[in-house]
Amino acid sequence: MKISRNWLQTFFEKPLPEAQVIADALTFHAFEIESVEGEILDVKVTPNRGHDCLSHRGIARELSAILKMPMKVNYGGAAPLILEPKTDALKITVENSQLCPRFAAAYITGVKVGASPEWLRTALESIGQKSINNVVDATNYVMFNVGQPLHAFDASKLKMKNGKLKIVVRNAKAKEKMIGLDDKEYMLSEFMLVITDGNTGEAVSIAGIKGGKPTGIDEATTAIVLEAANWDGVTIRRTSQALKLRTDASDRFQQVISPELASYGLKAAVDLIVKFAGGEVVGHVDEYPVKQEQRTVTVSLEKINAVLGTKLPESEVADAFTRLGLPYQCNEMTSHCMFTVTPPFERLDLVIPEDLIEEVARIVGYDKIPATELPAFPNKPGINANFYAAEQKRQELVAKGYSEVFTSVFAEKGERMVANKVDGVRPYLRANLTDGLKDALEKNVRNKDLLQLYKVKLFEIGTVWKNKKEIMMVGTAEEGGPVSEEPLEAAVASAYDDLPISKTERYQPFSRYPFIVRDIAMWIPAETKQEDVLEVIRKAAGELLTRSEKFDEFKKGEKTSLAFRLVFQSFEKTLTDEEANAVMEKVYAAVKEKGWEVR
Amino acid sequence: MKPGSIHPISSLIREANRIFFDMGFSFAEGPLLESERYNFDMLNFPKDHPSRDMQDTFFIKGEQGNVLRTHTSNVQTRYMESQMKKGVPPPYRVVSLGKVFRNESSDMGHESEFFQIEALAIDRDVTMANLKDTLQAFFRGIYGGTSVEVRFRPSFFPFTEPSVEVDMRVSGAHIPEKLRDKWMEMGGAGMVHPNVLKNTGVDPEKYQGFAFGFGIDRLAMLKWGIDDIRLMHSADLRFINQF
Repeated sequence: MKISRNWLQTFFEKPLPEAQVIADALTFHAFEIESVEGEILDVKVTPNRGHDCLSHRGIARELSAILKMPMKVNYGGAAPLILEPKTDALKITVENSQLCPRFAAAYITGVKVGASPEWLRTALESIGQKSINNVVDATNYVMFNVGQPLHAFDASKLKMKNGKLKIVVRNAKAKEKMIGLDDKEYMLSEFMLVITDGNTGEAVSIAGIKGGKPTGIDEATTAIVLEAANWDGVTIRRTSQALKLRTDASDRFQQVISPELASYGLKAAVDLIVKFAGGEVVGHVDEYPVKQEQRTVTVSLEKINAVLGTKLPESEVADAFTRLGLPYQCNEMTSHCMFTVTPPFERLDLVIPEDLIEEVARIVGYDKIPATELPAFPNKPGINANFYAAEQKRQELVAKGYSEVFTSVFAEKGERMVANKVDGVRPYLRANLTDGLKDALEKNVRNKDLLQLYKVKLFEIGTVWKNKKEIMMVGTAEEGGPVSEEPLEAAVASAYDDLPISKTERYQPFSRYPFIVRDIAMWIPAETKQEDVLEVIRKAAGELLTRSEKFDEFKKGEKTSLAFRLVFQSFEKTLTDEEANAVMEKVYAAVKEKGWEVR
Repeated sequence: MKPGSIHPISSLIREANRIFFDMGFSFAEGPLLESERYNFDMLNFPKDHPSRDMQDTFFIKGEQGNVLRTHTSNVQTRYMESQMKKGVPPPYRVVSLGKVFRNESSDMGHESEFFQIEALAIDRDVTMANLKDTLQAFFRGIYGGTSVEVRFRPSFFPFTEPSVEVDMRVSGAHIPEKLRDKWMEMGGAGMVHPNVLKNTGVDPEKYQGFAFGFGIDRLAMLKWGIDDIRLMHSADLRFINQF
């Protein structure tokens, strides 16, 4: 989520530190930061904080706790906001209040739709949003400011009956259609929720996700119905997935936000609209039958320290709660303190003692947690019979010259199939290892000269899905020989053997380009050393020579015949025959210069 | 005869298992094709919840409720449940090393199939401080180096609370330059969520503990300076025979 430093500043009297300092503060105490570009931070809000942190205010509250900077305004602990005045010109009916716990709305007349003031346009554009008009921008601003999504309907496009507007929230009918503000037609299903014009029965909005085109705000709009509602997260998520329609509103509602927030959001948006677009608030309606309960969560100082492995004093824990704006009571027990915290309404994530422990840990700082060795384990660890068997097999095959490969479990054919593979290729789960091993063998045989192998031999210990079972198999493949597999038989043992681990220090990248092989044979005097010959060849051939190996030697009188296989390869391109020939000419010249006779 | 090579992943698994075995951890396993029950439900992922989006899951055609496991954490739930059914309460220490899947397209840093190491320690008094030390011991074992530091950053996983991201910094002349003296992201960890314990039959009032899960491919890439994760499943001996 894009967060603007300048926007955050509106929550504080004192100047905020620079963006990078804010990023570091959040990284080590709250959220990962995807990027910092100028004054804009991309904050990765975790799913447990989607309730309260998908807004500038949410992030500001975190910063306030981390940087110990008091905020100008905070809702937490304030008396509930009453939406006044009321009106009966607009009637709201919610059919199922479990799926729509709250529906608040304001009816405003006499507005003048136009461009937004400069600061509002700049604020929205700074976080990648398009400015539309003063009414729509006000609703978007409130959403990014405090986290409550809102929607404005053109009231004149709703049907008035007996001087009254009527809104009904109900489940969609099967195949009910609505054209969204994005000009797309959506076909709805019965589990989805719609906001409808109660006087016509028409859907005017896909609840919590997208408003309808026919009742949208335009230049001619003069009266609006402004909605700030609260929706069931699962319904919004399922609807959004089914319609493949994700919006900033659905992103927030699917995380579940507090119904208490609706009135704050509505009040803020009404104030902005009246300020920019003029008009008069006819009144509010607020369908909120079951109020959010106030919850308390209790954790003892002893438990906090027992989970974290720390020795935090009571004062440090109390300070963390105070900084986070979490009102608490501390009841002295016989030997320790019990903290009873009353989370503010938006902190729906704080439910169990461990949630509070995490709050303390991240605010105090994870660097305060020491590293303490686990005590010795009272029981002897078990020897896993499958792993033991696999390790034995691995060692046995390596000793026989086989190298271990892993091939993909995804295959062209098999008994079971992945339903949703993103790349669409090889959708089956393999039913054997041999198909993959055959391919691997073929690929590696092509590189035989490069690998300097007499014979390519491979093995794989891996899972296959066959006869409706998941089985571990051992497969082997040998050049010019059989490719076969058999189930890995578990082996009971009393201890693991001390098997070798790789001694390699560093991987050396290899060229992905094809290589060229040339052989050279020559007569040399019996007393000349083979290493000296190789040295001359390597020096003359230069860096394109990647492998050089003697493959033949015999004596005839005073002379020795040596034959070498030379492999040429470039890191930059595919070598041509001409290039290989040119290198060979240099090698021949160097050999002749030494007085050795090329055969 | 010239011996063959074992795959670097197998070498690392062998080494990691040895380090954890010496700390009292038993090697435990679970299936790769797993039910949502062990992969998600018992790990405290609510149904139809955005936390399931964090995992790009492969579903199986015609087998509702089955997935390719997205992490080795299925072993946590399976292990604890089976122990409790046998009437064996904690302490538990298990390590699991095996293949996991994410439904994403592959590039130099991502593969749809890769390997994960998971460790779980449960007792009356296993703490987050124990987690930090265990990780340091593990990294010291794998990377050597003159000093190994571990740092936590806040994070979220449904199956741990508190949850952290783990960073590591190693120093020493033999450490690859790309890794030396730099903070590297290693993976996720935390204290096992009480709901996970409860779901497996372990009493969260009595027991607590830590769990972590890291990509083995990434551990290997850092250890040997390997630049492309796709080499792991390439079956290419130009790569494997270097180990």
